[in-house]
Amino acid sequence: MAGFIDLYTEGDTFLHRMDPRVKIASVLLLSALGLMLSNLYSLLILMGFIFLLLFLTRASLGKTSLALKALLRVMMLIVALWPIFDPSGTPVIASLGPVTITEPAIWRGVTSAVRVGCLATVWYILMLTTSQRDMVRALVKLGLRFDFGLALSISLRFLPTFVLTIESIKDAQRARGLELDRGGILKRARNYVAVLVPTIVSALRTAETLSLALQSRAYGARADRTYLRDLSMRRSDAVAIAAVVTILVVPAVMKYMLGYEL
Amino acid sequence: MRALQMRNVCFTYEGSEKPALSGIDLDVEQGEFVTLLGRNGSGKSTICMLANGLIPHAIPGKLDGRTEVFGLSIVDHSVASLSTMVGIVFQEPESQLFCMSVEEEVAFGPENLAVPKEEIAERVEWALSLVGMKGSNSRSPATLSGGEKQRVAIAAALSMRPSMLILDEPAYALDPAGRVDMYSMLRSLKDKLGMAVLLAERDAEDAAEFSNRIVLMDQGRVLRNGPPREVLSDPDLLERIGLEPTQLGELSSLLGERLSGRSFSFLTVEEAEAAIVREVLSGKDGVRR
Amino acid sequence: MIPRPVTDRGERIISTRDIKFTYENGPEALRGINLDIRSGEYVALVGGNGSGKTTLAKHMNGLLRPSSGSVEVMGKPTHDRTVAELSKVVGYAFQNPDHQLFCSTVDDELAFGPRNLGSSPEDVARRVEYAIDTMDLRSIRGEPPLSLSLGDRRKVSIASVIAMDPKVLILDEPTMGLDAAQSRDLMGTVRKLNDDGHTIILITHEMKLVAEHVDRVIVMANGRTMLDADAKGAFTDLTILGLSKLVPPPVSKLAHRLAERGVSKDILSPEELVFELMRLRGGP
Repeated sequence: MAGFIDLYTEGDTFLHRMDPRVKIASVLLLSALGLMLSNLYSLLILMGFIFLLLFLTRASLGKTSLALKALLRVMMLIVALWPIFDPSGTPVIASLGPVTITEPAIWRGVTSAVRVGCLATVWYILMLTTSQRDMVRALVKLGLRFDFGLALSISLRFLPTFVLTIESIKDAQRARGLELDRGGILKRARNYVAVLVPTIVSALRTAETLSLALQSRAYGARADRTYLRDLSMRRSDAVAIAAVVTILVVPAVMKYMLGYEL
Repeated sequence: MRALQMRNVCFTYEGSEKPALSGIDLDVEQGEFVTLLGRNGSGKSTICMLANGLIPHAIPGKLDGRTEVFGLSIVDHSVASLSTMVGIVFQEPESQLFCMSVEEEVAFGPENLAVPKEEIAERVEWALSLVGMKGSNSRSPATLSGGEKQRVAIAAALSMRPSMLILDEPAYALDPAGRVDMYSMLRSLKDKLGMAVLLAERDAEDAAEFSNRIVLMDQGRVLRNGPPREVLSDPDLLERIGLEPTQLGELSSLLGERLSGRSFSFLTVEEAEAAIVREVLSGKDGVRR
Repeated sequence: MIPRPVTDRGERIISTRDIKFTYENGPEALRGINLDIRSGEYVALVGGNGSGKTTLAKHMNGLLRPSSGSVEVMGKPTHDRTVAELSKVVGYAFQNPDHQLFCSTVDDELAFGPRNLGSSPEDVARRVEYAIDTMDLRSIRGEPPLSLSLGDRRKVSIASVIAMDPKVLILDEPTMGLDAAQSRDLMGTVRKLNDDGHTIILITHEMKLVAEHVDRVIVMANGRTMLDADAKGAFTDLTILGLSKLVPPPVSKLAHRLAERGVSKDILSPEELVFELMRLRGGP
């Protein structure tokens, strides 16, 4: 159940091996590209490229199909709703009271949907191929303070535990006759106090021991702490970042300087 | 130089009226395995947290008397600096492991001390082998059983290369089988490392066998301090201070009463069997059943 | 509260018919459990972690529903009854009291359960008094439960379940974290509750506790019942205990070792062993 936060699947593809900093940068650049392109065909090419990357992660179909189905639903929703909120352009296809459906609006809707598809999928690929640990490590190396990085990784580590604790608390209170699934908003909110208080207490107790454990292991003793396993860039990472930069720069130049409609 | 030396130590937790410790004198020599035995609230956890400086640096309160580890006063040295000499393991397996993998957890301490990478790698392997968790480097804490979590916690303390290990009820959250495993591992650690160990327990049954000394505590004071056989052979005293007498201790005492002129003190089932066969079942009429 | 008459004893109060259960994404936790628990019994459900004992217990008050098979409480199947409904009959005190405590005073905490069941204010007050008396909480009734010591928090947690006046009381590791004196106190109170007519189901892995208190022991391992016998019977087979990751008390181990010299294998306490040894000695 807590697995939805950690999408990471083990693997040995070049995407898995890529330095997480390069991956984060690449995803940001590709997202920028996705936002920059406004032509449907360019976006479809980008989407094709991104789906190729997804294929290269060698993630099993079973795992990805759930996420992709959800994405498809969102995309279809965008296509369906866009024309309702964007009545400009000709020719008009249908008109019903205040709602005017125009053909260009439909195409704009499709374009937006593809754009969202590109962005969502490229970030999904990042989550699929990068462990939580590497993500945090990358953020710290990119400038996040070690303390914040540690706080982040501790939160991620305790999230599944926490979910289990909350389930146990709910069970314990249900066994005392508490109905958590019935009643109006106000009643339910009041009932949840019986879950909230023990949860907070549990979190505080854990935090207390945690704090003692951290101190006992010399946390914060020196500013020049060492790392057993650290990130290091390789040539393939440099090649990758160069490739992605090119993929962004070339169309950007074509669009903004040479006037192509991309 | 002793591993731990406490002279006339008194401590009251902030916000509390009753002192947690009153006039404690306690020594732990280098290489000694000492078990603090007492009921909840007797002060044994307080002593554990004094021994690595958590009291007074992380836990506020009124502290009097002198506590020294390896000659250094815990008041004048930070928890971080003491951590190179004293490692501690708490009773809750879940909340003392905070990294995403076993390897990171065990490496965390040395990393904080800026130990060079290669040496950290060595220490991690060494510590994990000692606790029987070799090869578990990439496992995440969520996949570990309670007993395994405690082993990792011990490894994480050992990787800092302390000269004294403090264990505050390490088997608290474990089932009986886990408890047996934990204690057999502690015994092998004792044999292999020969480091000073301070163990806090509510139940003497398991540590009795291989402790050098047992310190009986009640209401913040030391009642008895001596070899296990001596301390555990008085089941009435143990009961009076709210502890469960060990079954073998009770047995020793009862047999001693019934067979006047003989005294028994066994610490292990093997000893008990041998003593009983030898002295109890071969009766004065020489008949053995 | 008037203790239930002893004539109730003997009726089936909880029955399970070949129940199986698998956790989501998990192994099969229960592999076909058939049990009858009768009113007034004092049963221990023992086993190591992962044996299925807690899973089984949670089926008894509806927190979990079997994947196959059925559970009956007081003769009626549980599948269409909510946990809240079943909590009127089957009370469950969780292992971690901090998962249940949240009120500002012990009194409020004890009133929580009865209030949830829709009792009238007079009834609620009466039940709170009963719980306070039974668990001896009078001196701390105005304190915030979360500020109490572990032993007291346990007592409050159990009291809050007793206040709901269930016929069956399931106690999950009630002595964990308690020292010998606190444990003895608590178990004494549980014994009284059983004497008053409550059916007690004790989930534990402390064999010493089992040896000293219960009438019937159900040993579980790997989702199955390995043994269902009276307390003494449970200790005569060390292999079953071993399979269930349980550890017999030292005196029991010693008795087994001395078995070939005539010592009975079902000896559990030092007193019993001394008695037996003196008997074998053939002297005064």
